[in-house]
Amino acid sequence: MKEFAVSDEHELESRLIGTGVERLALLGKHADVLMQGYSRDEVPLEALSDSALRRLLAARIVWRPDDQGGVKLAPRVRELIAEMLADETRRQVNADVGETLELVRTLVQSYREAQSQGEYWRQEQQLLRLRQAVDDLNGRFADAIDSLWQRLNSDFGFVSRLNDKIRENERAQKQIVRLLDGLQLIDFDELIELVGGDGTLRKLLISQLQRQISQHYTSLREVQSRLTELMARFRQQQSRSRLISGMAAFLREHPNFVPGNYARRSDVPDLINQAVPLIAAAAPAVDHEPDIRVLTDLVHQLPTPLHKPQTVAAARPAEAEEQSLVAARQQALKQDVESFYLTVIDHPDPTGISALAYLQESDMEWGEEIWLFQVIAEYQSLPRSEQKAFELHQLESRASRFNDLRLIHDVTLQLANSA
Amino acid sequence: MIEHGPLLERLLAGEFVCAVSDDRAFRRLEDEEVREQIDTYLRPLNRRLATNAEGSVYFLAWRQLNDEAREQLSRQLGEVLHSLMPMLEWLQLMQEALGHDALVAPGDVLKPAELSARCEDNQSLREQLERLAGDSFFGSQSEQLDAQMKQVFKRLREHGYLLQPHADRQVYLVTGKIDYLVDLVRLIRDEENLPVDDERPQTQESLL
Repeated sequence: MKEFAVSDEHELESRLIGTGVERLALLGKHADVLMQGYSRDEVPLEALSDSALRRLLAARIVWRPDDQGGVKLAPRVRELIAEMLADETRRQVNADVGETLELVRTLVQSYREAQSQGEYWRQEQQLLRLRQAVDDLNGRFADAIDSLWQRLNSDFGFVSRLNDKIRENERAQKQIVRLLDGLQLIDFDELIELVGGDGTLRKLLISQLQRQISQHYTSLREVQSRLTELMARFRQQQSRSRLISGMAAFLREHPNFVPGNYARRSDVPDLINQAVPLIAAAAPAVDHEPDIRVLTDLVHQLPTPLHKPQTVAAARPAEAEEQSLVAARQQALKQDVESFYLTVIDHPDPTGISALAYLQESDMEWGEEIWLFQVIAEYQSLPRSEQKAFELHQLESRASRFNDLRLIHDVTLQLANSA
Repeated sequence: MIEHGPLLERLLAGEFVCAVSDDRAFRRLEDEEVREQIDTYLRPLNRRLATNAEGSVYFLAWRQLNDEAREQLSRQLGEVLHSLMPMLEWLQLMQEALGHDALVAPGDVLKPAELSARCEDNQSLREQLERLAGDSFFGSQSEQLDAQMKQVFKRLREHGYLLQPHADRQVYLVTGKIDYLVDLVRLIRDEENLPVDDERPQTQESLL
């Protein structure tokens, strides 16, 4: 009877394996269609034959949520793909510790039963399933932590808006709390009691699990503190952006706004206290013997001027001549006007001397306008005390009846006390 | 002190030193002992090291505020205020052109050519850039979009807000001086009690 049961179980096992291989192959065979179902809402049916669809449904790779609706990916398959792609938008964190612990308890009990009844094959099977349960638990935490790090390291790059990043960060933090709660459920005192003196179970459920759990705990705490930091940065970015747009809007509404002069306060804000630039200037000095050699070397290294010196020399006199010619004429005009002033002093005339008449009588060649301009300019450039010694009369008229512009026809100059 | 020579020179010349503009110097400045050494050195020059609230940028402040220093600070504050509006508009333009919902931050890479291309395709950005570039702070005379963008970036580089790592490449890095500007805006907001809110609005969840 016992022998029969064992061979029965062997047969069951091999049948499971056969079906499993068949169904896993379905995933590969219909990978295209399934991935379309992953990225969209529904699995497109056009490319699937009726029998293929039936097989996919039977394998619970796809399902039909209701009779009228289309066919969708089964949640587990979606999770599997998300996990394989590390697709953080769809990846789920699921570490249902409670259920796993329940399973562990059951398996330990069956293992013991098989042990006491001497059913070694069944004992082996239970141990294998126990190992798998522990590995699954471990793997779920490792996956969850990996997913959290992925999201953290990409600054939640899978969403673009800051608000979404903040929400995703909040969601991740909640997941961490759930994961930590899950870890809390694992009570090693209870497990120690459960495994008793069995060395194999002890190794699996106590020392191995304890080591793994403490690693997960450390990782979770680390990722949690990093997420909090990142959240602070997101919030700071949000606050900066709001501050700048708020201030810009305020200044647009109040173009004449002028803030107080904080520099005049008794307590100047640190931020605006910025010292004036100071250039640490230095010049070559030859009072230090060893430097002289260095300086000499430097002088030798100076690049030779690119321009040929002759070209510069040839251009310069022409320019200089022009400038000095203008200056010389200006000087001559000034001297002639000064002679006019001296004439007024030397020959006091109570009616004054006409500047134009003086010009015409002399053999000078100045234009009338420029002459009058210089006479007036000379008067105005005299120191006030000397100006008082002269009286300058302008002979002027309005430009026209409708234009109040004054035209100066002539000026007469006389000594003030001769009037 | 000799190893701080080049750093001191840059600080004295009025530069803002941050992790972007000079990573090594910045890391040295984060050492309190180094900061004390530099402060001691600067004492006879009536200057001291100063930093912003987050400590992301270092510059030199007056140690004693005499009349002359206050005079200079008033002038300087005037200049900064003159540049405030164009700077805020530039920050907003960058944010919009890049399609970000955060401001440009120290270390961000900006390429004027790419930004020009985005402004080219968008009338509103185009107009914003035009208005901005023509502001006396940026002082562009050109009607060409590329030239306007270039001029704006050139001025920002001169003012230390941007760094151009290679003189022959039109690629810029945002420096920590941007942080300083944001802090300054916050200071003005706080000092003048302006109705400018930077807190996040109540989210839907917390209202429920």
